Amino acid sequence: MIADIFKNYKIEERQNASIYTKVGFFILAIVMSLIISFILIRYAGADVKDAAKSLFTGAFGGKRELIESLIKATPLILTGLATVVAFKARIWNIGQEGQLFAGAMMGYWIYLIADTQFVWLNIILAIIGGFIGGALCGWIPALLKVYFKVDEVLSTVIINYIMAYFLSFMLSATGPWRQADSFYQQTPLIADNAHWPLLFEGYRLHFGFVVALIAAFIMYLIMSKTPLGYEIRAFGSNPSAAEAQGISSSKLFMIIMIISGGLSGLAGAGELFGAELRLSSRISPGYGFTGIIIAMVAGLNPIGVIVAAILFGGLLNGAVRLQVVTGVPSALISVIQAMVLVFVLISRVLTSYRIRRIKNVA
Amino acid sequence: MLHDLLTVTIIVSVLASTLKIATPLLLAALGELVTERAGVMNLGVEGTMLIGAYAGFIVVFRTESLALGYLAAVLAGGIMGLFMVFMASSLKVDQTVTGLSINLFATGFTLFLYRVAFGDISDLPIIVPSGKISIPVLSEIPILGDILFKQSWLTYFALLMVPIIAIFLYKTKYGLAIRAIGENPRAVDTVGLNVTKYQYLCVIFGGMMDGLGGAFITIGTLSNFLPGITAGRGWLAVILVIAGNWQPLWIFFATLVFAFLDATQLQLQGFGVPVPYQLLLSLPFIIALLVLMGSRARSLAPKFLSKPYIREVTK
Repeated sequence: MIADIFKNYKIEERQNASIYTKVGFFILAIVMSLIISFILIRYAGADVKDAAKSLFTGAFGGKRELIESLIKATPLILTGLATVVAFKARIWNIGQEGQLFAGAMMGYWIYLIADTQFVWLNIILAIIGGFIGGALCGWIPALLKVYFKVDEVLSTVIINYIMAYFLSFMLSATGPWRQADSFYQQTPLIADNAHWPLLFEGYRLHFGFVVALIAAFIMYLIMSKTPLGYEIRAFGSNPSAAEAQGISSSKLFMIIMIISGGLSGLAGAGELFGAELRLSSRISPGYGFTGIIIAMVAGLNPIGVIVAAILFGGLLNGAVRLQVVTGVPSALISVIQAMVLVFVLISRVLTSYRIRRIKNVA
Repeated sequence: MLHDLLTVTIIVSVLASTLKIATPLLLAALGELVTERAGVMNLGVEGTMLIGAYAGFIVVFRTESLALGYLAAVLAGGIMGLFMVFMASSLKVDQTVTGLSINLFATGFTLFLYRVAFGDISDLPIIVPSGKISIPVLSEIPILGDILFKQSWLTYFALLMVPIIAIFLYKTKYGLAIRAIGENPRAVDTVGLNVTKYQYLCVIFGGMMDGLGGAFITIGTLSNFLPGITAGRGWLAVILVIAGNWQPLWIFFATLVFAFLDATQLQLQGFGVPVPYQLLLSLPFIIALLVLMGSRARSLAPKFLSKPYIREVTK
């Protein structure tokens, strides 16, 4: 019985683990994920070396590949930040996916009604619309929590499903947004003057990447330099102590969910107006969920999120080449992501606790 | 006359499909009940069901044996449960994030395996699902027989599990121990019972029930597997435990009400009622939100739910 084996061990807190221990366990986590990835690649009938090579060259092999990876990283930075601000306060918002779609939908709706020719006005409206859409979608679970004590994990997950069906309805044959002559569930292309500008001539990397970097910097400032950041951290480490210090937990909960939802909404707006240029469910192949993993891997650090998002963006981008060259399904990347999350969780425990054998067990 | 006949037929068909829809929800919710009573919040139900759904499907596809398929689903679910409890009880990792990792893993892993096995083929690989079992004599009863006694074996099993789990939790010493662990693990430990061992058994059991619930979807009713085929049923199961206030009988009733609404919704779709089907599909989730808003009391939620029990060793 496994439980019996564990009975003979005791878990005790490790007194301030050194940076070497932390880095060591982190590397161990990555190595473990790699080993499992290799096993899966073998299982899919491909050569590990070929697969690794095509994955890497597809992700970072040249200027074009690198830039494509940055495009993928753009929404991931934002959904990662959305996770950081919530999880720091130990608010388990896992509705990033739905909030992303809400942002894209609100952005699209405002784009339709504003119908303006001015490029910069369009950009500003898209940013505001995206943020507000996501923020509303994050605010609802906060209201449910404050007034009805509904667990935010469950409400945010449920709203993910509802948003997916809502989008599907808006794009269905009876819905108002469907491109008239299209076989697919999608809107017509966005007008040229609403496209977000490209950063480099001839490459698809768009203004959204700058938005994401600015957002990361602002979140870094908020988290480490402002009273709000202090309140978020205090609430996360000990809610009742934070309350005793006069922090209103209901108010804070709502503010955090509005910021968190808004950041995911920005990701949706960026994908709509910068990358996909039309609204459809292809706007996100799970950027919301990947953002959660990124935030955990980055240790809930806003700047760390940028690095992790670029790595994960590279993985997503490289997966396309991986599938084409070696036939390994690109879904491998989702498995790797989940494995990385699991091993990072384990390595974090091993860093903060040590397991010691108990002697003289009767 | 014809109108009346039609109505009876429809009511029978709605009620019969209520039980069918309730089956995977009930299996998973009862498993989650035992899990949560032992103090572990397993939010990986959705992913565990998905793994069970795939494991059952692929084994039946390869071996053409339904029995082996169900066995595989139970085993796969149990393994996911083992992972959950290892993280929660032995490593004391945050249970919310662990459950989430199970869901993310399951989504990716089943899609990966499905693509490796079948590629991007356009025609769906299918299997022959379990048939309905007509119970002799009882199924002959007019109306009631058609509703209750012409179901899949797993439906009977799920219904049977309601009293079994109720009796187990409330009338046996093991059930008492499990309920006590959810309320006060230290006290249970002091009496000399192994808290960790109980938690392992309960969470693994929960995982097995999830796996079985998932298998019901692929090899119990439908004949194929699709990515994400569980479509939120695992989350609904978690919510049904709350709606039923952590009591087997109330969970059963909550599941029936839920399944009845879903069955009615499907019937309406069949009639071609001019309501967008997306709205009807999102109805269970909207109801789930309302249920959560309504169940504020949660009087019987285990006090130590999702809090890891850290043993104080005095030596």
